[in-house]
Amino acid sequence: MDPCEVEFLSEKELVSIVPNFSFDTIHLISGSVGPFRAGLPVKVPIWLAVNLKQQQKCRIINQDWMDADSLNEAKEEEKLSKLFTKMPSNHYMEEAQLLLNVASDDISDADRIKTAIKDIWDIRMSKLRTSIDAFLKSEGLHAKLDHLTAMEINSVRPLLPHALDQMLRIQTGGRATQSHYSGTSQ
Amino acid sequence: MEDNGDVTMTAEDDGQEEEEVTAQSVLLAIEEAWLNEKFAPEILPHRSDLVDCMLQQITHMEENMKRLDKEDLRLMIHRMELDRIKYVITNYLRARLEKIEKYTIHILSQEATRSSEECYLTVAELQFAKEFLANIEMLFKTIALQHMPGNFQTFEVDTLTVKPNLQAYVFLRANDRINGIIVPGSMDEEIDLEPGSQHIIQYSAVADLVKSGAVKLI
Repeated sequence: MDPCEVEFLSEKELVSIVPNFSFDTIHLISGSVGPFRAGLPVKVPIWLAVNLKQQQKCRIINQDWMDADSLNEAKEEEKLSKLFTKMPSNHYMEEAQLLLNVASDDISDADRIKTAIKDIWDIRMSKLRTSIDAFLKSEGLHAKLDHLTAMEINSVRPLLPHALDQMLRIQTGGRATQSHYSGTSQ
Repeated sequence: MEDNGDVTMTAEDDGQEEEEVTAQSVLLAIEEAWLNEKFAPEILPHRSDLVDCMLQQITHMEENMKRLDKEDLRLMIHRMELDRIKYVITNYLRARLEKIEKYTIHILSQEATRSSEECYLTVAELQFAKEFLANIEMLFKTIALQHMPGNFQTFEVDTLTVKPNLQAYVFLRANDRINGIIVPGSMDEEIDLEPGSQHIIQYSAVADLVKSGAVKLI
C-alpha cells in the first residue's frame, strides 16, 4: 500500500481544535461534527482540522500524547522493552507528521516532539528488522504483531510477506523434488 | 442539509433479520471491504449492497449541496468528505477489476459453480469478466493463433489460467475471538486470536474468516 494511503487512513483520527468562528453542527456522512463555538475546543477529524487550519479558521490543540516529556519516557521504555510497547495511537507517526507540518506554530516544543517521535520510530524499526530476521531464520509460519502501528506494518509489507512466500515456494518445491526423486529411485 | 447522519438503509443479516444501519457504519464497512480487497490475494464476495447505499448517500448529499450558498463553509467541508469517500469506493472497485483482469479464467470457472445468491461478482463485474475473456481470445486468435499450424490453433483455456496464490502471507487484525486456527505448513500447531490482536499468517488459514468479517486484513 502506498504510504499516502496509510496517511489517508490516519486522517480519520480525531483531534481537538479551537475554531475562531461559530457554526452549527455539520452532519457529515462519517458522523456529525460541531457545533463550533469561537474559542471553545471541539473534536474533528484530522483532515478537517488541517483544512480549517490552512484557511486560518482554527488553532489545533496538540494530541494529549504529543508531549515531549511523555514521548521521551515512552522512548526510554521502548529502549528497555524487548517487545514492542503500546503506542498512544495506531497512527502516531502520520498524525505527528500531519499536525506538526501544518500547525507547528500552535504546538509548543514542536522540535523536541519531532525528535522524540523520530527516535521512537528508529528504535522500533530497528527492533522490527531484528525480529523479522530472527523470525525468518527460525522458519516461523505465524507471528503475532501486537502493538505494531499501521505505518510500521506497511513499511515491512513489500519485504516480509514476500520473503515468506518465497521461502514457502522453496520448501514446497524442495519437497516436490524430493518425493519425485524417492519415487523414481524405488 | 439536515439528517444526513441518520439516513438509514436496511441490510439483511444471516438470520434474515432486518437491521438498521447508519450511513456512518456503512462507510466503515466499505473502508474495511476496501482494505480486505486490497490485501487478499483472491477476489472476495462483492459488497454492492454497501457500495450502492453509499452512492445513494453521495447523490443525496450532492443534491443538498446544490442548495447551499457558494460562500457557505459547509460546502467545502462536504465536498472534501465526498472526495474522500469516492476515493475509497473507486479504489475498492478498481482493486476488484484488477483481480478480475488478472485471474479472469479462474474467477469465471469458480463463479460458474456458485448459485446466484452466493456469487462473488456483481452482474456488471461478471459481464466485464466474460467480455474481457472473449476479447483476449479474439486477440490471441487474430494476432497469432490463426497463423499457427493446425494443431496449435486452439485457445487453450487451461494453460492460460492464472490462479491467485492463496498461500500468500497477509497481515490481519482480529475483530472477534477465534480459537484453534491451524497454522498451515505446521504439523498441528494451533493459534487463538484475541479481539484486536494483529498477526501475519498464510491467507488460506483465514480466508473464511476474512469473508465472514471475523478478521480484517491490514
